[in-house]
Amino acid sequence: MSEAAPGLARYARQTRFAPIGIAGQARLAASRVLIVGVGALGAALAEQMVRAGAGEVRLVDRDYVEPSNLQRQALFDEEDARQALPKAVAAAAKLRRINGSVRVEAHVADVTALNAGALVAGVDLALDGTDNAACRLALSDACFRQGVPLLYGGVSGSEGASAAFVPGRTACFRCLLGGEEAPESERNCETAGVIYPAVAFVAALQAAEALKWLSGNGEALRRSWLTADVWTFAVRESRMPAGRAGCPFCGREAGAVTDPVERERACGDDPAGIAPLEAVVLCGRDTIQVTTGRPLSPGELGETLRRRGCRILASNAFLVRALAPEEIRLTAFADGRVLVQGAEADAGRAIEACRRYLADPEEGCPVPAETSAGVGKTEGGNGDA
Amino acid sequence: MRNIRECKLYVVSGEQYHPGRGLLEVMEAAIRGGADIVQLRDKEAPKRELLRKAEALRELTRRLGALFIVNDHPDIALAAEADGVHLGQEDLPVEAARRMLGPDRIVGVSTHALPQAVAAERAGADYIGVGPVYPTGTKPERAAVTLSYVSEAARAVRIPFFAIGGIQPGNAEDVLAAGARRLCAVSAIVGSPDPEEAARRLRGYIERWEFESPSGMPASGGVRLIVNGREGVTNAGTLLELAAEYRLADRRVVAERNGEVVPRAGWSEVPVREDDRIEFVHFVGGG
Repeated sequence: MSEAAPGLARYARQTRFAPIGIAGQARLAASRVLIVGVGALGAALAEQMVRAGAGEVRLVDRDYVEPSNLQRQALFDEEDARQALPKAVAAAAKLRRINGSVRVEAHVADVTALNAGALVAGVDLALDGTDNAACRLALSDACFRQGVPLLYGGVSGSEGASAAFVPGRTACFRCLLGGEEAPESERNCETAGVIYPAVAFVAALQAAEALKWLSGNGEALRRSWLTADVWTFAVRESRMPAGRAGCPFCGREAGAVTDPVERERACGDDPAGIAPLEAVVLCGRDTIQVTTGRPLSPGELGETLRRRGCRILASNAFLVRALAPEEIRLTAFADGRVLVQGAEADAGRAIEACRRYLADPEEGCPVPAETSAGVGKTEGGNGDA
Repeated sequence: MRNIRECKLYVVSGEQYHPGRGLLEVMEAAIRGGADIVQLRDKEAPKRELLRKAEALRELTRRLGALFIVNDHPDIALAAEADGVHLGQEDLPVEAARRMLGPDRIVGVSTHALPQAVAAERAGADYIGVGPVYPTGTKPERAAVTLSYVSEAARAVRIPFFAIGGIQPGNAEDVLAAGARRLCAVSAIVGSPDPEEAARRLRGYIERWEFESPSGMPASGGVRLIVNGREGVTNAGTLLELAAEYRLADRRVVAERNGEVVPRAGWSEVPVREDDRIEFVHFVGGG
C-alpha cells in the first residue's frame, strides 16, 4: 500500500490501542484542530496531531523562526532560521511532508479578541501553545462562546502545567486566572529559560487529552490542573472547578451555543477589542511588536527600506526583515505587524523607527502619530517560551 | 520528623546549672519528662567542641524523637544535621540563616518586644522566643519583659512562640494564663535535681491549659491551616485575604483549596477554615 495514502496501515499501532481503535481513528480523520502558537509547545503539539492523523490542523503564530528557537522547537531547522520564515509557514511545510493526508492551514497572525472567533470557528478542539495571558484570554473566550474545549499548556524553566478547559464542564481561563488586569507571571522564558524536556512533557500531556477528545473518548479527559517539574521531579494535581454561575463564558446559562443564528453571532469577533495601533513588548527577546492596523506588502516595503539605507536581511512572501543604520532590526509582516528589535524595549523608539523607515512616501505614514493606545504593555509573544 | 507546631515544651542546655552531671544525661531526662524540642546553647565552647556536643545531642534527639536546634551557629547546625538554628537579635538575620539552611530547616529568633516579633515573623522565622518573662540568671543583663508582652504576642503573632525567661513550675500557670501555649525553660529543668520531674510538671501545666481552652481556638486567635505545605495561622476570612497576606493577591497564581482549584473570580467568596490545605501555585505561562 502507498505510504502517503490516507490508509489505515500507517496508523496500525494507534488503532490497535483499544480505546482508539478503527472507529476512533475515523473520528480523528474527520476532526479539525486549532493550534495557537507554533513555538516549542505548538510545534510539538502540531507534530503529534499530524502524525496521529487529525483531519485538519490550523496553525496560528505571529512570529518567525530564529536560531535561538532551534534548541527546543522541533519542527524548525537552521535553514528556516536563515530565511526567517514565519513559524506557522515553516511548520506547515514540515508537517505536510510528515503526513500528506492532513490538511494543514497556516495563519501568520496575532490572536486577539479581534480574530479569535474566526480562528476557532469550525474546529473540534483548540490547543494552547501560546506564551502569554492576553492570547489565552481571547482564545478561552472564543472557545467557550463556541463550545470548543481548550487544552492549556505552559512551560517555564523545568516546570510545566496543563489543564483542559471544557465548556459545560469546567470554569473558563478568565474565571480561573483572572482577566487582563492580572499581571503576566513574572517567570517566563526570558527570566527562567526553558528546557526541551519540560516542553515535551507538557506537550505530551496536552496531546494525550487531544487524542481522547478527538477519537471520541471525551469522558476520559483528565479533570485536573496538573503542574510538574521535570528537574526536581514533582507532579501535582488538583481538581478543576465547574463553571462559575454568572460568567458569560462558563456559567451554566452560557453553555455551548447551538442555535445556528446565535452561533454565527458568537463566532463573530468583538469589534470593541479593536486597537488600531498597539506596541507590546514580546517575551523572549528584546522585541516590540507594533501593530499598524493595515496590510503591508513585504516586496514593496523591501524597496522602501533599501532606499532609506536599511540592509535587507531576509525577504519572503510573508515578511521582510531589515537592519536599520542605528542597529534596529525591523521585521514587517504582511498582516500589518512590525517586530522591532534593538530598541531597548522602548515602545516610543520602536514606533519612531517604524515611522522613519516604513512610512509610505505617497500615502504618508502607516503608523499614525498618535501612539498612546497600549504602548508599553508587557506581553509575551505567541509560542516562544 | 516532628513539626515545630507540635512542640510544647522547649528545653535549652546550660551546663553551668548541672556541674557533675553530663549534658546528655540531663537532656535525656528532660526529653523523657516531656520536652519535645532541645537547644544546644553554649557560648564558651570552641567550635570543634561545640560540634562534638551537637553531634551527640543529634543522635540522642533522633533516638528519642525530639527536635534539635543549635544556638547561634548555622554552620554547626548544618554540620550536625540539626533541625534548625536559634538566633538572637544580634546574631545573623533570619534571611541569611534561611539562605544557608534552606526552606525545610527551622529558624527561630529571640524577641524582646512586639516589633521584633513582627519583624521575625515577616522575615520567615518558624518560631520565636518571647521573653525574658521573668528576670533570669541565663541572661542577667536583660530586663524582664513581663507578662504583658506574652499577651501582646498571643494576640499578634501567628507563628508558634515559646515564652522564656525564669519560667518554672511555680509561675507557669501565670504565663499560660497570659496567653502562652508553649513554654521554654533552662535552669528550671536542667538545674533541677530531677530534670525529668521538672519537665513533667511544666508539661502537665501546658496540657491542662490546652485542655481547658476552647477546642480548636488557638491562643493567638485566627485560623490554623496549611499553606503550601507549611502550617500557619491566619486572620484572613477569605481566600482573597489569605492571598493578600502572602502578597499574592495581584499576581497571576492558581489557588487550590483542599484539592480543588478555586477560580480567581471566587477568591473573595471562599472562606478560609480551620485545617484547610491551601496551595498557591504560580501560573506557568511560557509556550
